[in-house]
Amino acid sequence: MEKVHTTCIYCGCGCGLLLHVEDGRVVGASPSPLHPMSLGRLCIKGWLAGEFVDHPDRLRYPLIRRGDRLSRVTWEEALSLTAASLRAIAQELGPNSLGVLTSAKGTNEENYLLMKLARAGLKTNNVDHVARLCHAPTVAGLSYAFGSGAMTNPIASLAQATAILVVGSNTTEQHPLVASYILEARGKGARLVVADPRKTQLAGLADLRLAPRPGTDIAWINALLNVIIQENLIDQEFIDARTEGFDAVRQTVLGSTPEAAERISGIPAHDLAEAARIFGSAERAAVVYAAGITQHTTGTDNVQALANLVLATGNIGREGTGLYPLREHQNVQGACDMGALPDLYCGYQKVAQARQKFEQAWQTKLPDEPGLTALEMLALAEDGRLKGLFIVGENPMMSYPDSSQIKKALEALEFLVVCDIFPTETSELADVVLPAASFAEKEGTFTSTERRIQRIRRAVKAPGEARAEWEIISDLLHRMGVPADYASAAEIMEEIASLTPQYGGVHYDRLGACGLQWPCPSRDHPGTGILHAEKFSIGRARFRAVEHREPVEAADDEYPLILTTGRSLYHSHTGTMTRRTSLLDREVPLPAVEINPEDARLLGIRNGQPVMVETRRGSISLEARVTEDTPKGSIFVPFHFSEAPANVLTSQALDPVSKIPEFKVSAARIRRS
Amino acid sequence: MSEYIPRLAEIVDIDIESPNTYLISLKLLDNENFSYKPGQFVMVSVFGLGECPISITSSPTRKTLQLCIRRAGKITNGIVDCRVGDVLGIRGPYGNGFPLERMKKNIIIAGGGSGFATLRSLVNYIVDRRGAFGDVAVAYGARTRQDLYFMQEYKSWQQAGIDVGITVDIGDESWKGDVGLVTALIDKFRLSAGSAAICGPPVMINAVAKKLMDKGFDHSDIYVSMERHMKCGVGKCEHCMIGPYHACQDGPVFSYDKVKSVL
Amino acid sequence: MAFLPQERLVPLLTLLSDRMEVVAPILVEGVPVFASWSGQPLALKDNPLMPPQEFFLPQREVLFRYIQDCGSYSFEEAAGKARLIFGIRPCDLRALAVLDRIFGSDPMDQSYFDKRRSTVLVALNCNEPGENCFCDHLGFGPTCSEAVDLQLTEIDKGYLVESGSPAGILILKEHPEFFLETSQSHLLEKCEMLGQAREAMNSCIARSLPGIKEAIKKADWNALGRTCLNCGSCTFVCPVCHCFTIQDLGVPDGERMRCRDTCLLSGFSRMAGGANPRISQGDRMQNWYLDKFEYIPQRTGLLGCVGCGRCSRVCLAEMDRWSLEVKR
Repeated sequence: MEKVHTTCIYCGCGCGLLLHVEDGRVVGASPSPLHPMSLGRLCIKGWLAGEFVDHPDRLRYPLIRRGDRLSRVTWEEALSLTAASLRAIAQELGPNSLGVLTSAKGTNEENYLLMKLARAGLKTNNVDHVARLCHAPTVAGLSYAFGSGAMTNPIASLAQATAILVVGSNTTEQHPLVASYILEARGKGARLVVADPRKTQLAGLADLRLAPRPGTDIAWINALLNVIIQENLIDQEFIDARTEGFDAVRQTVLGSTPEAAERISGIPAHDLAEAARIFGSAERAAVVYAAGITQHTTGTDNVQALANLVLATGNIGREGTGLYPLREHQNVQGACDMGALPDLYCGYQKVAQARQKFEQAWQTKLPDEPGLTALEMLALAEDGRLKGLFIVGENPMMSYPDSSQIKKALEALEFLVVCDIFPTETSELADVVLPAASFAEKEGTFTSTERRIQRIRRAVKAPGEARAEWEIISDLLHRMGVPADYASAAEIMEEIASLTPQYGGVHYDRLGACGLQWPCPSRDHPGTGILHAEKFSIGRARFRAVEHREPVEAADDEYPLILTTGRSLYHSHTGTMTRRTSLLDREVPLPAVEINPEDARLLGIRNGQPVMVETRRGSISLEARVTEDTPKGSIFVPFHFSEAPANVLTSQALDPVSKIPEFKVSAARIRRS
Repeated sequence: MSEYIPRLAEIVDIDIESPNTYLISLKLLDNENFSYKPGQFVMVSVFGLGECPISITSSPTRKTLQLCIRRAGKITNGIVDCRVGDVLGIRGPYGNGFPLERMKKNIIIAGGGSGFATLRSLVNYIVDRRGAFGDVAVAYGARTRQDLYFMQEYKSWQQAGIDVGITVDIGDESWKGDVGLVTALIDKFRLSAGSAAICGPPVMINAVAKKLMDKGFDHSDIYVSMERHMKCGVGKCEHCMIGPYHACQDGPVFSYDKVKSVL
Repeated sequence: MAFLPQERLVPLLTLLSDRMEVVAPILVEGVPVFASWSGQPLALKDNPLMPPQEFFLPQREVLFRYIQDCGSYSFEEAAGKARLIFGIRPCDLRALAVLDRIFGSDPMDQSYFDKRRSTVLVALNCNEPGENCFCDHLGFGPTCSEAVDLQLTEIDKGYLVESGSPAGILILKEHPEFFLETSQSHLLEKCEMLGQAREAMNSCIARSLPGIKEAIKKADWNALGRTCLNCGSCTFVCPVCHCFTIQDLGVPDGERMRCRDTCLLSGFSRMAGGANPRISQGDRMQNWYLDKFEYIPQRTGLLGCVGCGRCSRVCLAEMDRWSLEVKR
């Protein structure tokens, strides 16, 4: 039995784990005691991370659509058809009729190559990925406020906090290792405030629980700031020395009294005042947030509101303080770092400013026209203006909002290539399907939500003819006339390091079991745990006044409930891996809509009864789960289940800045079926 | 050979018992002996879907091995979706079964819902060995008339001199019999204290046991067949633990005094 | 009994590895693990986080393959492979003794015993307890209390080797060139070493069997259940825990897999109809403790806890696994 040190593929925590290999097969997994964050611990998904690898459903051979069937072909056939089709579309309609959706499940090397393929190969900036749907507001919001869109501190730093505000994060279920550090701090006496419309496990353990009406976060966060200013709990010295724009914020929140916020958010004013005192008077306060903050049309403003709170109290740049955005996929951070974004190259270098640098490095001309975001690409596809799409490791049919709209867009494409490890609802629509190696079958790096760049290592052979994505993309780059003779993933990292300042000192031989936290500009640099300790990269951190705006959809007579979507502890995203893992599938085998007992009684709905949930976009059928954990007036649907795909219901209303859709608020109704 | 390798059995007949329940008759392909006791169970495999515990519904006094299967999940759905001629895997019989050697001659058998499936094995066993038993009564309740199993057999039980009481929770115009709880049926019987065999939902088991104890039954003479999640059937996988006991080996039949705290 | 000089250990293992797979604690990216040994430096300081239980009860294993032909099925089983596990510690050995009784009870679990029989165990007594160890408080360790093929105790300049089975004696007899005669002083040295280990253990952790039993009696299981993060780690690292599920992979041909399970998940005891006899996380945690300290002793005569302390190392909820006190 061999053991191979690698990194978990589920959430952004990025825990270290070992895969156990016997006779060429993954037979188990266990935690890595040396990992600086996970310290020999794992959540249930991590323990079972190796199980889906040898599932019989894995894609094994390249497939090409012949009529309504996908037939097995050779790699040569599949790749030459892909290259020829993409070239033909570009010739006819221009390069911007093509697009690439990369994957937050792919490695840094693969995201980098895909970004290079789009820009240097296909000559378009139309490249984006699922970060658009979870943390684009974090990238936009925190880049503006602090100069970097990343988590400010290592996760372990949370254990030193004396007060923690958790907002819109079901931490114990979605990021269990982060929850572990929160519980450690709580055990040592830290005060815990949890704001979530649902009564999460962490909310049950909180000193104070705030239950805002969905979509009213700015209102109550501004009220916290209002109290903090009124009671002089601000850190004036920090504000003067290291920030700018505080006066405008002070003006704006003047009217945001707890009483005013109570009218908007439904949180009692005295709770808001108490929360403000807990946070404002703490020696070291931290803010943890996740998609509950970002997946709104006010996502970027929500993030800024939290940044304002942290800056006003001087809770940044020190151990136990800071802002902790929790990324959903294990490599959303890395995919963003690698520039799988329409306006940025790797290292967040703006297309407008860094184009020459990359033209020189890649020895080719690069497009200057700004690219499109994921949903913009699909909208153009529906109009027939975007004809060819290359999707790697994403399943928009399940994970993007308003599925019927997505389906129309994908069906309107002239040519769709999907590269994945399992057949998905999206690959069913593809013209070419390319089988990829899973994390256990290839080399590469992931960057966790705490900016930790760490290796995955090959433990077993890929099934059938499946290949690592970096090899597939190299092959396509080559066919598109861009030299790409990478002998290994490590070689790709060398190129990344040479072009990405934050990754300048990242080399495979340095990564070991612990990885490196960026920024790590040079080979002798130890990496950076706490950001913004001495100064912000933009000089002074920026306050920006933000105000409450109502969500696009409100409950009305026709659709009287507010639907939020989210995830369960036992599943990841669209369930392609977790639903193929025995214990996880058994734990939550079926989709269910959570509804408050009072609403259920009014509608005559019993626990376990089949119901239909409808919004203006569509309807799904599933079981009702009657629970006090969901507040009155709201319902909750997890989006892992293809038999009741939650995103049939959600809308494509977008945040104007970051273009994230409003997954967390849709007007809905529910009835017995 | 591994205990986990099942024997193969062909489905020779499928009867519909209720809208979601089927009586499946099996023939073992190895033609070897298959001996069992009323109250035992087998692990049934649908290859590709998995394995689950199913109590034996037939009596060992009769030729055909029968299982009564209700649609309740992936595997049971897989079994009932089979056709005559399809091959299943069978391991067992497992479990202790009803302790016929220790049971008194006068017996009351009380079942609720799908729990009655395992009791039918005992009823038919008594019918076929009638001389060995004294006063025997059967009390059986289901949700509606459509949910009642084995309706065509009640008459043969009565003909064997067994008191048979049937009740439903929700009556309709097609139902002329009793409506109400199984405990109400028991009140109707002329009972002399003896042994009891019960299977059904925990609430029903407790109610019946209490009623019987009121009527002079000793709690150690009341035998309950317990349902539990099972995977191995041989006391290793630990799914079916009831305190220190394993339902698959120490049970599924327990005397009431041993399990009343978990019911 | 014999003396194995320090420098002859690796050559002896090398020789044995010609005949069978040798498993030993080695470092993978610096992490000590039990894995196939082929000359890597041995990592004998700490007992690895994952016990060698997985060589008998892997997290996932094929029980048999089913092959469909004309609607009927035939089955194939894999044969066990010859293996030597070097460096198993007394606690993990004790855990195997518990498993032997459980998997050996009628009907015997063939798949487990195939591996058990084809494996030679060479134990290493503990000179230095780990920071969470408390085997001595449970009445055994840090030396082997179970029959084992060979047990080694590190003493000055080498190991005292004691055989406990024909397979162990055979190794001593077949390879006399590696071993030296022992003297009374070697034995004394061993006793002294182990006495020191005991003392070190007792001075660092105050835990006792009556104390643990009392804590179990007094625990507020609901409050503990509310903080449990359902990770299952305590059950996955426990050398005695052995819950498994059985699952099929593939149609029409495929594999019936035995997969490690954990009684702390609600689906573990939930029945097909949805009813669950252990409905809350507190119920499930209580059952875990009762199993170890009451039920397993009733079944096997041995405690279901071996004092390795692994569960307290991995608890995501940062619980004190032994005082069972609720923090705030």
